[in-house]
Amino acid sequence: MNKLLLTALLSFVVSQGAMAGELVKMKGSTKGRVNHEFIYQDGCQSCHQGSGRKNATDSACVECHGDINSIDVDETKLAIPEANPHKSLHYNQGASCLACHGEHEKKAPVCAECHRTWFEEM
Amino acid sequence: MQGRRNFLKLSAGAAIGSIAATLPGTVQAKTCGEINWNESVDVIVVGSGFAGLSAALNTKRQGMGSVLVLEKMQVIGGNSAINGGWLAIPKNPTQLAQGINDDSPEELVKDQIISGRGMQNEAALRQIANRALDAYELCIDTGVKFKEGFNIQVGGHNKARAIRTQHGTGGDITTKLYEAGVKEGVDYRLQHYIEDFIMDGQKIIGVKVRKNYRFPDLKTGSSIFIKANKAVILANGGFARNMALRAAVDPSLDPTLDCTNALGATGEVTLTAMAYGALPVHMNLIQTGHWGSPDEGGFGWSNALLSIGWHQGASISVLNGKRFMDERADRKTCSEAIMKNRNSDGSPAYPIVLFNYNNYAEDHRVTRALRDKMAWKLDSLDDIAAKFDIPADELKHSITEYNTHVKAGKDPLFNRKMDTAEVLTGPFVVSRIWPKVHYCMGGLKTDLAARVIDGRSMESIKNLYAIGEVTGGIHGEARLSSTSCLECLAMGIVVSETIKADLKGAV
Ligand SMILES: Cc1cc2nc3c(=O)[nH]c(=O)nc-3n(C[C@H](O)[C@H](O)[C@H](O)COP(=O)(O)OP(=O)(O)OC[C@H]3O[C@@H](n4cnc5c(N)ncnc54)[C@H](O)[C@@H]3O)c2cc1C
Repeated sequence: MNKLLLTALLSFVVSQGAMAGELVKMKGSTKGRVNHEFIYQDGCQSCHQGSGRKNATDSACVECHGDINSIDVDETKLAIPEANPHKSLHYNQGASCLACHGEHEKKAPVCAECHRTWFEEM
Repeated sequence: MQGRRNFLKLSAGAAIGSIAATLPGTVQAKTCGEINWNESVDVIVVGSGFAGLSAALNTKRQGMGSVLVLEKMQVIGGNSAINGGWLAIPKNPTQLAQGINDDSPEELVKDQIISGRGMQNEAALRQIANRALDAYELCIDTGVKFKEGFNIQVGGHNKARAIRTQHGTGGDITTKLYEAGVKEGVDYRLQHYIEDFIMDGQKIIGVKVRKNYRFPDLKTGSSIFIKANKAVILANGGFARNMALRAAVDPSLDPTLDCTNALGATGEVTLTAMAYGALPVHMNLIQTGHWGSPDEGGFGWSNALLSIGWHQGASISVLNGKRFMDERADRKTCSEAIMKNRNSDGSPAYPIVLFNYNNYAEDHRVTRALRDKMAWKLDSLDDIAAKFDIPADELKHSITEYNTHVKAGKDPLFNRKMDTAEVLTGPFVVSRIWPKVHYCMGGLKTDLAARVIDGRSMESIKNLYAIGEVTGGIHGEARLSSTSCLECLAMGIVVSETIKADLKGAV
């Protein structure tokens, strides 16, 4: 995956205010994130372990974005300092990307199981 | 939700296992040869809470070879990661610095015997208490931070001996144990759901796992077989989230009761172990917390908020505007009193708790609760009556009466201890309450060394160990607060020593 391209895309998306990219129609009835549009051109296998029938795993996310602690979150935008989802007091490194993010659908972050949260698009 | 039906379907699928369950002692070496192992490791740990993380790190440190932790959820830590971070350690440094020199493991055991009401396992409690300083050291050594200078007396303990993690959550411990494990070579895998055990007679030799499982859908992912050369350690926690199972063992647990536990606390591994002969004990002993709020999920802020409410405020029934219990009675007494508040159709009529706002305006417990809209600031009793649909005159009458009791320092209605009660004048902080299911005292019977006991032979199932909330019979009727964290961490040390000793014996 092209890291540079991705970084450029990421900063663009963040400056637009949408953390994980808008959810739009990608292929047929499948929805996806605008910042991932270029991946869809390769088919599903780059995220889905080589076959669209298999589940996506974290390694696909980490390959481009880096691991959870190295992905910056704009701390000035956090409602409270403890609510940094990439440095969670409960999970820190021990959280899968998929615990909070969905590529093809909106997903409630794992913290919403107990807390009110402030993240609108996951 | 993992009901009994699901687990039956699963074990029926693994023919080898079912035979072992019906024919105790039969060795199926021939049949086992047919298993296509996808991989093999020395030690498999099921679950990644305090118990699993401590066991994994300690078996690794004992030189037991490759250690693999399997966790079905998308996060590490289970109940332990969301826990309140309270840890009972007799003779901890803060306690000694406070000048409390008369505490000891034996003092802790004494308190636990009282709350266990005769059903506890004294020898097990004593062993755990004796390892408390080792458990504390394990935390310090892996980088866990505790609140400085903080050591207090919590419910049911006769001494101040509970320390608390820096951020008031067990996550402060689980993240550190996990990170230490990663550094020292423990292998952790998320979304790996234990479906079944592979037995060779009365010995476990591996597990069937659903890899890439996505909670709660059992059709997701695919099955693989992992061989365990030396040990399988069950650290899968309690089953408080399994509504069918908890109702089956304790019909008094009303379906309207929510649960404080992480969503994965569904107990299917405990049931699978039982299907292979593991002896269950005390399954019906399930603790509820009477400090739950229906206006938030899980554990939330309510418990902390109500530490003000129970002491300085009053609880009122919305049905008639009257007080209905001693707000300072124990968990069981209060839960039962609260649950009597029902509408005519049987649905919960959530009672309210109110206390004065002004003295606690800056208190974190209040600011968070108001911010997250699980409590409200209301200026007058009329406002409260309107918001919660309480007969206003009755409410006013009850509070006037309550205030005279506060001034007299006596509660003729419920005999509550009034030493901390405040005259209620408003503005008020008001929240709603309903009990939540919290902890399973019951589970698998183990010997002192953490070996799982087969009820048919009363001998241990070879290579199968269990520690933490999955085990039963240790605490008896009620677990004391801040002792589960201690138990899990300490037993993770004990089980690593047992496995080492058992392997020596086998050579
Ligand atoms: C909100 C809350 C606050 C608490 N506060 C305190 C406190 O302050 N002090 C204290 O001492 N105690 C406290 N307790 C109790 C204590 O936290 C728990 O009893 C303890 O965390 C249990 O640890 P464990 O390792 O046994 O299980 P858990 O931490 O629950 O871990 C079990 C893990 O096993 C996984 N698992 C289950 N089934 C499978 C399967 N089939 N395949 C793979 N993995 C599986 C689960 O997903 C989970 O991650 C609290 C409990 C709760 C819920």
